[in-house]
Amino acid sequence: MKNKRVNAVVIGAGAGGGIVAKELAVSGLSVVLFERGKWPVYDEHPTDELISQRTEVLDSPFGPDHIKNPRVVVEADGRRRIVTPISGGYSNNAACVGSGTVSYGAMAWRFMEEDFQLKTVYGHVEGSTLEDWPISYNNLEPCYEKAEWEIGVSGDDGLNLFAPPRRNKQPMPSFEYNPEGELIYNAAKRLGLHPFPIPMLRNSVRYNNRPACIRNRTCCGFACPVDAKNGTHNTVIPTAMSTGNCEVRTQCMIAEIVVDDKGQAAGVNYFDSKNNGHFQPADIVVVSGGAIETARLLLNSKSKLFPRGAGNNYDWVGRNLQGHAYTGAFGLFDYDILDLAGPGATVALCDFNHHNPGMVGGGLLANEFNRLPYLYSNIRPPGSARWGIDHKKFQYEMYRRTSQVVGPIQEMPAFDSRVTVDENVKDYWGLPVARLSGSRHPLDYENCKFLSAKAEKILKEAGAYHTWQSVGGKGLSGGQHQAGTARMGNDKKTSVVNRFGQVHEIDNLFIADGSLMVNNGGFNPALTIMALGYWVGDYIATNFSSTKFRAG
Amino acid sequence: MVAGGLMFMPCCRYPEQPYRFLSTEEADCIIALTEQIIPRDNYPGATDAGVIYYIDRQLSSVFHYDQQTYRNGIRSMQKACNEKYKRLFQDLQVPVQIKMMEEMEAGNLNSYNWPGGNLSSFFNLVMKHTMQAFYGSPIHGGNKDYVSFEMLQIDYPLVIGQNRYNT
Ligand SMILES: Cc1cc2nc3c(=O)[nH]c(=O)nc-3n(C[C@H](O)[C@H](O)[C@H](O)COP(=O)(O)OP(=O)(O)OC[C@H]3O[C@@H](n4cnc5c(N)ncnc54)[C@H](O)[C@@H]3O)c2cc1C
Ligand code: SF4
Repeated sequence: MKNKRVNAVVIGAGAGGGIVAKELAVSGLSVVLFERGKWPVYDEHPTDELISQRTEVLDSPFGPDHIKNPRVVVEADGRRRIVTPISGGYSNNAACVGSGTVSYGAMAWRFMEEDFQLKTVYGHVEGSTLEDWPISYNNLEPCYEKAEWEIGVSGDDGLNLFAPPRRNKQPMPSFEYNPEGELIYNAAKRLGLHPFPIPMLRNSVRYNNRPACIRNRTCCGFACPVDAKNGTHNTVIPTAMSTGNCEVRTQCMIAEIVVDDKGQAAGVNYFDSKNNGHFQPADIVVVSGGAIETARLLLNSKSKLFPRGAGNNYDWVGRNLQGHAYTGAFGLFDYDILDLAGPGATVALCDFNHHNPGMVGGGLLANEFNRLPYLYSNIRPPGSARWGIDHKKFQYEMYRRTSQVVGPIQEMPAFDSRVTVDENVKDYWGLPVARLSGSRHPLDYENCKFLSAKAEKILKEAGAYHTWQSVGGKGLSGGQHQAGTARMGNDKKTSVVNRFGQVHEIDNLFIADGSLMVNNGGFNPALTIMALGYWVGDYIATNFSSTKFRAG
Repeated sequence: MVAGGLMFMPCCRYPEQPYRFLSTEEADCIIALTEQIIPRDNYPGATDAGVIYYIDRQLSSVFHYDQQTYRNGIRSMQKACNEKYKRLFQDLQVPVQIKMMEEMEAGNLNSYNWPGGNLSSFFNLVMKHTMQAFYGSPIHGGNKDYVSFEMLQIDYPLVIGQNRYNT
């Protein structure tokens, strides 16, 4: 059966894609939203640490299938290693309707004004492709607001001294601190810092006809059993469907964006759940597969005018792969400080995001999400027993007495940190898989040391009797905060898309996900990706009717 | 729970063979090893928690690619124990077992059929699996009756304030 032509195909029902689909559907465009995964099931793995999106020991409950979707990782010494979502090193986010927004920790950060102008603020960084964004914080501000109100955020940026300017407050009141948060809050205050409650894409009160959070222990890495966590799967995607203009086609793997000989996107080739191949024609195509899969799909979409992949005539697709090196410190207390109510992270500070002496960028610090027992069995001060009776004693004596203050460091974009495709390794459908290579910029490790030292100082001030740092920032980037592989820019020779997410030289091909980001901030990226979804979606919806983005 | 599940296993040719992948002798070795990784004290240890059932079950499914590592690792361990003490690992006194494990962890024991390799990676693998089994969810074969959750005084079900343990 031949598919009917639609106005828009959106590839990937995650943070960016779900929002674009909704923006287009409500403006009257006919949309097919493709997702390779399924609708998330809430009650299959509600408490199972080994099958959670946090540890992925035995499986990834929200995808992708670990047998069908290998990737290749190139080690520092040049060795190639095949990885899967459960083998480690895969940089998995998720693959289901909602993607990472189903099981994320749900921190809801706006980037700061500086994050959009890093080069202007800090100048050129040797060995980095650091650049200003072609859009400013002010451009994106209304989109952040839309994300906060339509998806749903609890928070009070009025309490954050370093928060960027905003026209409206967040829709729900902020969450209270847990005992650990209280402790960190007071210590940070005494040190002259400016802690505040973490803004969250979770309901502190009933919102959008869904209940308030009940503090379940398993939050980050799991779906919320009472549906108090807000993602695209329980907000914008249902809205898009309710217009009657949007069909969500799940378990469909997009193999290729078909670009015709005139250099325009004609539609997509895909495999359905029974592995039958189809073509879906469309006026425009929007790619929202997440930073790694979007780059892979573009590279796998070769055509006459774009023989190295769609939008890749200048070899920028897949470049500048960033993530977040997590860095911080642990502290041991001689009394219980954790109540293990969900999600665990409650307090943050932005004192170190920018303007640190001698540094470029920085990162936020926050107390960490609940560490479940298996994860915790790996957390010990350097030199401690890794097994045996002492290891076990530590587990039951210190489980509620260990605090962790951590944050995502602003990574310096590196040209050789990249996604390519490996022609020799194919996935289940016979498509060349994503290959991750390169490494982080050397400055990242230096910045991590700085932030970890600050975290340790806070823990000491809070009364920890023993502290140690865990410093990140070396090796391959990527991970759950993957970003940057289809950079926005004004110059087609040094970027992949223009300021509206439109691929240079392919007017009816757009990108709307983490790949657009010129840099990844010192913040978890989801809210910014959502804002970018609104930014790109609004642009398409406003301008579609005149030309349908088709020349001639 | 574990024994109940076995009745539905068509692959069991011998009724007395309680494992899917490991032989009884191999399993005895792993049981002894995991018991020293998480020993019984006032709280249950790895054997009480059924760690072996987790390992055996995962080796015959998700972790099938680790099968050879286990087979080789166990053989090499037993060879080293035989050379030094003329005993199987599981028959050694606990302090001697711990000494052997420290040697393995430090990389001082060579692997049987890949000379030049040593047993520390095998040890690390068993250690990781033991932690998963003991601290993970009981539905995967270990942490029998939620013994580790009870040890950590974690409420179960997860909703805070609804502790259903019989303490
Ligand atoms: C455990 C966890 C905790 C997190 N915590 C936070 C947090 O606290 N705060 C925060 O800001 N962020 C957090 N994140 C990260 C956040 O979820 C991601 O940044 C965000 O979802 C990325 O959005 P995206 O649109 O770029 O891609 P995604 O949301 O990953 O969407 C991509 C979608 O495209 C689909 N797709 C890809 N390729 C194809 C194809 N070829 N055919 C069909 N479909 C395809 C994928 O299956 C996926 O569903 C967390 C993530 C995880 C997993
Ligand atoms: S803490 Fe629990 S109830 Fe609250 S949002 Fe997270 S999963 Fe839902």
